[in-house]
Formats: sequence, structure tokens, C-alpha cells
Amino acid sequence: MRSGSRLMRILGTTGVPIAIALVIVILVFQVLSPVFLRPSAVSNYLNNGIPILLITVGVAFVIVGGGIDLSIGTVAGLSAGMTIWAVGAGMPTPVGVLVGVATGLVFGVVNGFVITQFGINDFIVTLATLNVAGGLLIVLSENVSLRGVNAPGLASLTQGSTLGIPTSFWIAVVIFVVMQFLLMRTVFGRRLFATGVSSEAATLAGVEVRRVRFNTFVISGVLAGAAGVLLASRLGAVQAFLGMGYEFTAIAGAVLGGVSLAGGRGSVWAAVVGGLMLATLQQGLRLNGVDPVYFSIVTGLAIVTGVVFDRQAQRLVLRRNVGGGPAQAVGAHPVAPEASHARETGVKS
Amino acid sequence: MIRVAAGGMSGRRRAGRSLIGAALVASLALTGCTTVDQPEESDGASGGGPGVSDPATDEAIRAIVDGRTIKVGFSPPILSEFYTQVEKAAFNKMKEYEDRYGVKWQWERQGALNDAHSGTETVGIVEGYISRAFDAVFVCSAAPAETMQQLYAKGSAEGVDFYQFNSTEELANPSQAEDPTGGLNTVSNIGYDDRWQSGYISGQYIAEKLEGEGEVLQIMGPSGSDWTKLRQQGFEKAISEYPGIEIVGQADGGYVRDKGFTAAQDLLTKFPDVDAIYGENEDMALGASQAIDAAGLKHWDGNEGIITIGADGLVSGMESIKAGKLTATVDVNSTAIGEQMIETLFAHEVLGMTVNQFVRVPTDVVDKENVDWHLASLKANLAGPGKY
Amino acid sequence: MSTDQSKARVSVLERAGYRLLLDPTLGVQAMLVTICVVAAFSFPVFLTEVNLYNVVGSSIIVMLLALGMTVVLIARGIDLSVGAVMALCAAVTAEALLNGYPLTLAAPMALATGAAVGIANGLLITKLGLPDFIATLAMLGFASGILYIWTGGVPIIGYMVPEFYYVGGLTPLVGSVTVPMLIALVLALVLGGLLGWSRLGTHLFAVGSSEHSARQSGVAVHRVRILAYVISGLMAAVAGIVIAGRNTNVPADLGTGYEIQAIAAAVIGGASLGGGRGRILGAVLGALTLAVSINLINLLGVPSSYQKIVIGAILLLAVVANRLSEIVNAWARRRRLARAPVDHEADAPDLGPPTVPAESLKPTRKALR
Repeated sequence: MRSGSRLMRILGTTGVPIAIALVIVILVFQVLSPVFLRPSAVSNYLNNGIPILLITVGVAFVIVGGGIDLSIGTVAGLSAGMTIWAVGAGMPTPVGVLVGVATGLVFGVVNGFVITQFGINDFIVTLATLNVAGGLLIVLSENVSLRGVNAPGLASLTQGSTLGIPTSFWIAVVIFVVMQFLLMRTVFGRRLFATGVSSEAATLAGVEVRRVRFNTFVISGVLAGAAGVLLASRLGAVQAFLGMGYEFTAIAGAVLGGVSLAGGRGSVWAAVVGGLMLATLQQGLRLNGVDPVYFSIVTGLAIVTGVVFDRQAQRLVLRRNVGGGPAQAVGAHPVAPEASHARETGVKS
Repeated sequence: MIRVAAGGMSGRRRAGRSLIGAALVASLALTGCTTVDQPEESDGASGGGPGVSDPATDEAIRAIVDGRTIKVGFSPPILSEFYTQVEKAAFNKMKEYEDRYGVKWQWERQGALNDAHSGTETVGIVEGYISRAFDAVFVCSAAPAETMQQLYAKGSAEGVDFYQFNSTEELANPSQAEDPTGGLNTVSNIGYDDRWQSGYISGQYIAEKLEGEGEVLQIMGPSGSDWTKLRQQGFEKAISEYPGIEIVGQADGGYVRDKGFTAAQDLLTKFPDVDAIYGENEDMALGASQAIDAAGLKHWDGNEGIITIGADGLVSGMESIKAGKLTATVDVNSTAIGEQMIETLFAHEVLGMTVNQFVRVPTDVVDKENVDWHLASLKANLAGPGKY
Repeated sequence: MSTDQSKARVSVLERAGYRLLLDPTLGVQAMLVTICVVAAFSFPVFLTEVNLYNVVGSSIIVMLLALGMTVVLIARGIDLSVGAVMALCAAVTAEALLNGYPLTLAAPMALATGAAVGIANGLLITKLGLPDFIATLAMLGFASGILYIWTGGVPIIGYMVPEFYYVGGLTPLVGSVTVPMLIALVLALVLGGLLGWSRLGTHLFAVGSSEHSARQSGVAVHRVRILAYVISGLMAAVAGIVIAGRNTNVPADLGTGYEIQAIAAAVIGGASLGGGRGRILGAVLGALTLAVSINLINLLGVPSSYQKIVIGAILLLAVVANRLSEIVNAWARRRRLARAPVDHEADAPDLGPPTVPAESLKPTRKALR
């Protein structure tokens, strides 16, 4: 009985159901195609997937705070362009990396500032900055050469390996651990969850909601910048249009991992697992020779089943743990809207 | 029927190889080959497969092939009518070789879907082919050339041969003066020169029809695209050779018809007296053609009206030329590209021949005068027996 | 109305003034007018009849999608599938015409497809509890995937029957007025009426403002939300029929990016992604703003490399304009309440039912963001 409920609690932790599904999917693909887990294939798969995983984690912060950031894809593309430009202009690799990350930071600050200070909807503001970043990359690529840059230092970030595993993997792991700590173990993280669940309640509890939300956009921007640096390192050259559409993959990945778009629920590792699921499906289908025209259908199906599966697991756990503390129920159950209903009715009356 | 078609095709090769002349007409009637204007490959040697259909030769090649299966990857930048035509021509050639030499094919298409313009998806696809040890991979991608070259070097080291098709390698002006590979890590690049074999001849066509006097509008693909850049270079070079011709307006048509339509409509409002519209692909040129209709302006009738010219060589474009909706288009010879891909592959992979790094297929400006044979040949290709 | 004549006249003027100041689309109207005035001065060609009809004509597709999107946004949803569904419905129409069905059968087939997708979206969201964003993103994948597999990437051509040139707006009906313009006008009026005067309209606003209180007051929340997606699906189908006629071919990637344009148009027009707010007139103006922007970019000859930046800037300007109009609205309301507290009740219906629950929610929204 005891162990049963512990199992249930583990199952109910955000990201666990999808992690189990991920393991199953990996096993199935390995059986179908023996090259799937070969080191070179895994290394490719990680190098391809990591930039998108970084922006997935970034957008997860924004989503947990009840917002959304559509600009991340093209900002990553622009950051990649800026990195290549800087390195191509003869700056040392660390400066190039800084330029890329700073580009992301600038967009994060602009997004956060406009959204929180003017109270304008984040969807539309970040849609506007999506266009601006994409447009700037086009202008950049027309005016300076983003190709033929010989930068072994930059390339070693993804092409080199440390302890037999691509360096980018270690970079990503460090970032993920730091981010997970930030979200789960710090005051900022607690305030972020409070903001996402109910910004009004958070305000009443003394949280500076605007500041918290501003910070999420900065985090998202910086991670998009970091993703851009890794993209630049991997591709060695940048084309206009790089990063377009990554935002949807990232958001879908985060949600698949159990990050709730209503805000107030999610974790870094859950977002990573969700993003890995999408990347794994793509890689697995590819290695089994499936025509990519089927990808969007399979991905769509996976997202639907994944989210439903996650919901059902939550519901099951909740039913088992009726006696459990209310705090847990609020944190785990994706019905944060309930909280906002209460808030709205409260204001109206 | 299949035999006739196959025989006809080999007839074409013979003609193309050695006898330029009478045989052409006959083979043309049979297969509608699209290389009639320039039977010699413009850039010298093609990949060159086996020539004459002769039982003894075929038998000898059959012995070399020894029932071998070749694993081929095919990665177009997007799924579209053009790449379907290329693939079908390749299939027909594959079928011909299978019948003649017993070579078996394992063909796998994996094209990018989501980011045709950035092409990063192609990186993953090509790595997948390398992991699975394909014999050869055909790639056309919008990814930066450097990225792809790194990848080809990596794959070649693991025994995978790379062939680019319809690509934009000419952008970097590769030279074979010092280096036989032209600095590329591919076995061969099969296609045409976007500047001189597409953009340039479109400009020339307009200038000649207008007799060196007139105003031209340009509907471009998205800026940042290499294809756009190259075609524009060629087109502007051609126009610059005629001082009386002026490009008065440009707009972005995004390579799609509805955007091309709107862009042309707006430009026609501002410049209603233009004499010609250049669309960098057929879809945008057709959008421009619709804008001409909508504005109640006159299409080119041989003497006056607005000339519309596109580039691709699609069935839909040729039908529009027949219907008088499009003045002309540059047929960049999807059929020949597909056939050359397989010929080059077979020559190198199976027969071990040396193939040229740059195989250029002939292209042609198609208008009412010559649309019939181009269209017939295209339809014959699409009706061909190949299916993989 | 027992007051004397002159006073009545003043109050009529005042009412008209308040009406304008209280209009939530004030910002976008002002912006559109400003852009048009600037354009008219710098380009005499802008104000020509031909150009204006062209602009309106090119805005229709986005406008139709934005109308449906507005309904969904009001119910606090979002529909990312509209572009792909539009392409799918265009393909259904084209294929039906190609197989010899008359337009009177082909169009209903497309509408049925759109409605079916709408129902599927609605069920995924209400019954399976998927977030709107994710359910419709998945639907985008399904619809475009099906279209790619169906057509193999080869555009459908050769389906244009003579009457279809009218439907696509390629042949004008009377003067420069085209069928799509009439379709958009009629549908805008129908949807405007639906939102303003029907029970469904009231319910949509109620669900969008607060699902919880809507449910408590007896609204069938699930049914209302499903209906919102069905309306969006139907609008996508109508847009699909029109674009099949306008484009004269249907490539598999026909709908790419239209969802974002539709959302942008609706939001420029004052719809809120937080639900409970949105105006049909706003969607129409939003679509026109986008079309005018593209028109000006083309007329000005803005290098195409700068186009995206310009579009981004216009979007930002539009939302700032909307924010300003909210401030003006709030000021006007306070002022009117202060001046004529008694009149308040009588005036309320003037604004039309849609704005009432929406306006009363404003402080909440502000707190939210």
C-alpha cells in the first residue's frame, strides 16, 4: 500500500510519464534499426538536438511564469549569425561566444521590458521581435559573409569531444543543471511558480510579478543566444532564415514534457525530456527511412497522446492521493485556470 | 511499350554522344529528349554511363554489376513539382539500367520539410544516411555550402559518395584550374548554372523581344536565398548589356504564387506601362500573369503587351504558355538532371569511371514556338515506367 | 428625453464622441488612418481606385481567417491550424472540381472538411483536455502532412471552371467589386451579429472572460468552445475555397504562415489572447492594416531584406496603439460615469453587448499581465 502510493507519486511527478515513454521509444527504435544507438549516430543526434533543447528550456521558464515567447527560434538564428560574424572578423572565440549570448540577452531584455512595462501581450510582442530578429539576420547575411569562417575554437564546442562525449553535451548538461536548480531550489523559482499559478495571489504575497516575468524573458533570450552559439559551432556557416520554426518545436517539446501552458507547472528536466522525445522520434523515423512527409503527422500524434497520457497519469495520482495536501494538488494538477477563475470572479463581485 | 521507351532513350544517348544530327530527330520523336539544342553537355564530359545498347556490352556490364543493390539517398530541399519531375526521370533511368544490367536499387527519399530555406534539416538527414552506410547520396539543400562540405568530407571518409544536384555551388565560383575537385568534397555536381543558364538568358530573352527598349519589373524570391542571389546576378548582367532596358521595380514574391500575385499587382499599379515582368520562378511569374489579367492589361502577343517569364520548366508552367498566360519560362531541364544523376552515379559507382565535378545540363527558354516538344517530353518522362 | 432641443443635440454629439473614445478599436483605426494619410501624400497612386481595390482584394484571405480566429480568441482559445486547414480545404475544392463535381457540391465538401477539423480541434481541447495551442499545433501537422502525402508535393492544377474565376476574385462581379469582398462582408456581418446579438455570442464572451463563472451560470462551456473552433474551421474552409480560385493552383505549402498572419490581424484588431475580448470590425481593420503595410512596402520599393523588420515594427506599433486606446477608453468611461451617472444604465446597450463584459474585465487583465 505504502510502496504503491510512492510509485504513484513518482508517476505523478512532472515529466516522469513522458520519460518512461521515451525509454520505450528508444528501445523500439534500437530494435528496428541497430544503428540507432551507435556512438556516431547518438553524437549526431545530440548535436542536432541540443540547440533546440536549450531554447526549449528557455521557453519553459517563460511558460511556467504564464507567458509565451515566440521569438526564440529566430533570435537563436540571429545569435548564430552574430557569433560567426564576430569570429569571422577576427575576434577570439570567447568573444564570439559572448557576442552570440549577448544578442540573445538584448532580445530577452527588449521582450521583457515591452511586455512587462507596457503591459502588452507577450504573444504579439514576441511575434514582432521574431520578425525583427529574422529580418536582422537577413540584413546581416546580405552585408557580411557568414561563410567560410575558419574557427577551430568555435567548431570544437560541438565537434570536439570530452571523455568521448561531444563537448556540447557537457555544456548543455551544465546549463540544464544550473537551470533546474534555479527553477526548483531558489527564491526566484518559487516566485516564478507562484506567478504562474496566480499572478494576483503572488502579488498579494509580495512577489514583484513584473520583475519575475521580465527575468523569464531574459533567461529565454540568453538560452536562445547560447543555442545560437552552438548552432554556429555546428554549422560553421550561417544562412538567412536559420532558426525559423524552432519556436514551435521548442514549445511543443516543453508541453509534451508536462510544462503547462496555463502556467505554474513544469520543470527543466521535464522540458528536456519532452524535447528529447520529439528529437528522438525524428531521428528514429529518419534512421528507419521514413519519408519526412509523415513526420508532422507522427509528431502531431505523439504530442496528442503524450499530453493525454500525462494528464491521465496526473488524474490517476490525484484520485489516489485525495487525502494528500492541497499544495501538492495545485502544483501538480494542470488546472491552474481554476485559480484564475477564482481571481476573476473575486474582482468582478 | 517499355522496351520502345528504353530503346529510344539509349538512342538518345548515342545521338548525344557522337552523331549529332539525323538520329536526334528520331530519338526525339520517341522520347522527346530535352537536350536537343545542345546535344553536347555544355560543360564537357558528363558522368557518362554505358553507350550503345549492344548485347555483348550489356552482358559484360551485367557481369560487373553482378546483381548488386545500390543504396541511394535522395534529399531535395522541399517536396515540390520540380523535384518530383527530377525524381521521376531518375526512376526511369534506374529502371532502364535495372532491365539492361540487372542492377538493383534501394532508393530512399528524405527531403527537408520545415525549413527549406535554412536547410539545417538536411544536416540531420545526411547524417542519417551516413550512419546507415548508404552507397551514394544526392543532395540539394539550402544549407550553407561550408556546412554541407564538412559533412561530405566526414561521410566520404566513411565510404559514402556525395552528389549534389540543382545546387548553388557556382556561388563560390569553384575553379578546377588548380584543383580537380574545385575545392568540393562531392563526386559530382549535377545541374545548371543559375546565373548564366537561367537568370541571364531570361534577361536576354526579354531584351531581344523588346528590341532593347523597355521597362522591366522583377519579382524575386526571398532575399537571403542563394538561388535568388544567383538568378538576380545573371538577370541584371543581361539587362545591363542593353542600355535601353531598365529595371524599374522589384518586390519580394517569396517563391509562391499568392505573394507573387500581390507583389506584381502593387508594382503594376505604380508602373502600369512596364513591358515585361521577370518572375524568378514559374509560380511567381504565373502570379504576375494573374495580376496582368486582373489589371485588365494585355499579355504579350508577339508585338505588344507585357512579357512574363519565369524559370523551372514545370508541366503547369508549360500549360500556361500554351494557354497564352505566360510568355516564356526557362526550362532548367529537370528530366536531364534526373537522368544525369543516375548516369553519373552508375559510371562512377559501378563502372569506376572518372566523372567530372560539374555536370551541366542544357537549359532552354521555352515559349510558344517550342513549348510543344518540351511539354511532350516532360509528359513522356512523367509517364515513364520507373517506380521505386 | 424631456430636455430641450439644444441640449439634446449636444448630448447626441457628446454621445458620438464617447462612442468613438470608448471604441476599443480606436487605436488601430487611428493607426490605419495615419498610415493611409501618409501613404496618400507620399504616393498619389495609393489612393487610386485600382490600388485600393487591390489592397482590399489582397487582404481577404487573411481577413476571413482573422474573423474565425477572433471568435476563437474571444472564447480564450487559439487556432494555429487555420493555415493548414485552409490549404486542405482548397485542395478538397480543387480535387472535387477536377473530378467534375459542380462548384455547388465542391464548396460544401470543403466546408464539411473545415467543420470536421473544427470539431476535432474542439473535442481534443474540451474532451481530452489538451491545451488549445498544442491541439491546434498538432492539427496543423496532421492537415499539412495529409496534404503532402495526398499530393506528393505536386500542386493541383487544371481545376479552374469559369465560375470559379468569380469566386477567386480574378474576374470582378460589378465594377471592381469581387465576390470574395462580398463574401467577407457578409460573413463579417453575420459573425458580428452572432457575437453581438445571439446567445452563442454572449456565451462565447462569457466563456472567454471566465470559464468558471460561465459554467456556474449554466453555459454549456464545452459546446461553446467546440462551436468556436467549428466557426474557425468553416472560415478556414471559405478562405480555402477563395484562395483556390485566386491562386489557380493548390500547392501543398499553400497555407504556410497564414495562421500567424490571422492571429496578428485579430490581435491588431483588439482581440486579446487572454480571452473575452475581440471585435469583428477589429479583425477586418487588422487584416486591412497588414495588407496596406505590404502594399506600401511594395510601392515604396523597400528592399525585401528589410521587409521582415518593417512588419515586426508595424506589429509593435499596432499593439502599442491598442494599449493607448485602452487607456483612452478607460479615461472616457471614467469621465462619462462622472458626468452622467444616471445615464449609465441607459447607455450601456449602445456599446453593443460584446464590449460590456469585456470592458468590465479590463482591470483584471491589467493585473494579469
